[in-house]
Amino acid sequence: MPRHFELELDQLRTMLIRMGSLVEEQIDCAVRAMAESDVALARLVIERDKKVDEFDNAIDQHCMRVFALTQPVAIDLRLLMAALKINNELERIGDIAVNLAERVEPLLPYAGFVKKTPLREMATAAREMVKDSIDSFVNNDPELAKKILISDDAIDSFDRETFNLMIKKMKESPENVEPAAHMMILSRHIERLADHATNIAEDVIFLVNAKIIKHHAYASDSP
Amino acid sequence: MNTNGYKIRTINLSLSYGSKLALNEVSLDIKPNHVTALIGPSGCGKSTFLRALNRMNDLIDDARTSGEVLVDNINVYRDDVDVVELRKKVGMIFQKSNPFPKSIYDNVAYGPRINGIHDTKTLAEIVESSLERAALWDEVKDDLKKSGLALSGGQQQRLCIARALAVNPEVLLMDEPASALDPIATAKIEELIYELKSNYTIVIVTHNMQQAARVSDLTAFFYLGKIIEFNDTKTIFTSPKEKQTEDYVTGRFG
Repeated sequence: MPRHFELELDQLRTMLIRMGSLVEEQIDCAVRAMAESDVALARLVIERDKKVDEFDNAIDQHCMRVFALTQPVAIDLRLLMAALKINNELERIGDIAVNLAERVEPLLPYAGFVKKTPLREMATAAREMVKDSIDSFVNNDPELAKKILISDDAIDSFDRETFNLMIKKMKESPENVEPAAHMMILSRHIERLADHATNIAEDVIFLVNAKIIKHHAYASDSP
Repeated sequence: MNTNGYKIRTINLSLSYGSKLALNEVSLDIKPNHVTALIGPSGCGKSTFLRALNRMNDLIDDARTSGEVLVDNINVYRDDVDVVELRKKVGMIFQKSNPFPKSIYDNVAYGPRINGIHDTKTLAEIVESSLERAALWDEVKDDLKKSGLALSGGQQQRLCIARALAVNPEVLLMDEPASALDPIATAKIEELIYELKSNYTIVIVTHNMQQAARVSDLTAFFYLGKIIEFNDTKTIFTSPKEKQTEDYVTGRFG
């Protein structure tokens, strides 16, 4: 039975999926711009963030309208709640792509230094998590979402390793201080990317299984 | 009084109208001082269930009941149960307000008079306190001689609630009590239900999902004469356990 309300929800899903692919593209480009010292590509990422923000506003408005007009409950309520939160996470992921892109120009003189760090590897892993988190939402797949929660640990240890390596580099030579400081910040940004992917995964588990698992409430669904 | 902690328990309650089975072995425990909502599509048995709790179905010729309805642990279908006493204890509010064609005062005093109270002062006290508990006193206190039928729809419904309260019931059964009212009158009834639950056990049948969500503590979803799911209202409306419940509360079937 096609319903007016189902159409509203379908539209919402479609908008989130489109926003998700745009955000994935933004990270891809930011990481590539960084690895290849491509300033033009970095500028494109910064410019294109406006589109991410437009999606953010449109999805917020759409959710508010559906809440006000249909008073959704049960699975519909969970979808709308998850949509609002995922929207927020995607918008933040978009901002991080911009943060990464903004460091491409200052790092131009240190291209050689950047290449010797594990940052691209780490960024690729985090980007993969973001992609999986969006896929888990698109396909209603809580199993994939659970895998993302586990992957987050790997990113955290990447971040720690990078930090230690950069301290070591700084100690080796004062010339390393500036690029190493940039690298530490970039590493932290990428670590945050993975955190947002993890949040999306938690929202998907809430949406599908009606279980709240954030803040490590893994064992029970009550506060 | 209620040794098991429940005000009302039904055990394998079945009811048929002629050959049609309207309730099929329904067992439900109703907590005292809580609002329990009964929801489900038309014909699912929820109103029949409500009416079975104070034996209103006795009035229907071909209705046959089996199983038990325990109110304070006493099976109300036992032969020696006085139905009039039962209905005093378990009062009912109907969908369509039905004041008697009498004054506001006489509407509320009707039950107490039948129960042998004729002292003017006592009656006046009962009328005032009942109208107050039904949140109607302030609106009618200056004109208690006015006909109950001259009140607005929402006031009439609160008059009927006052009339039910006048005989000191312990349980209030409400069958779609606000379905014929505008949003403001509905909000008043809902607020009243919320206030009454500290002193009464309330069971309400409603087709309005949002009303069930707003006023009740527990919700039972009926379908084809059975209870599909009975749970905290919060659970029913955020994460129901049964697919059928989810489909019904989200409007996908029913």
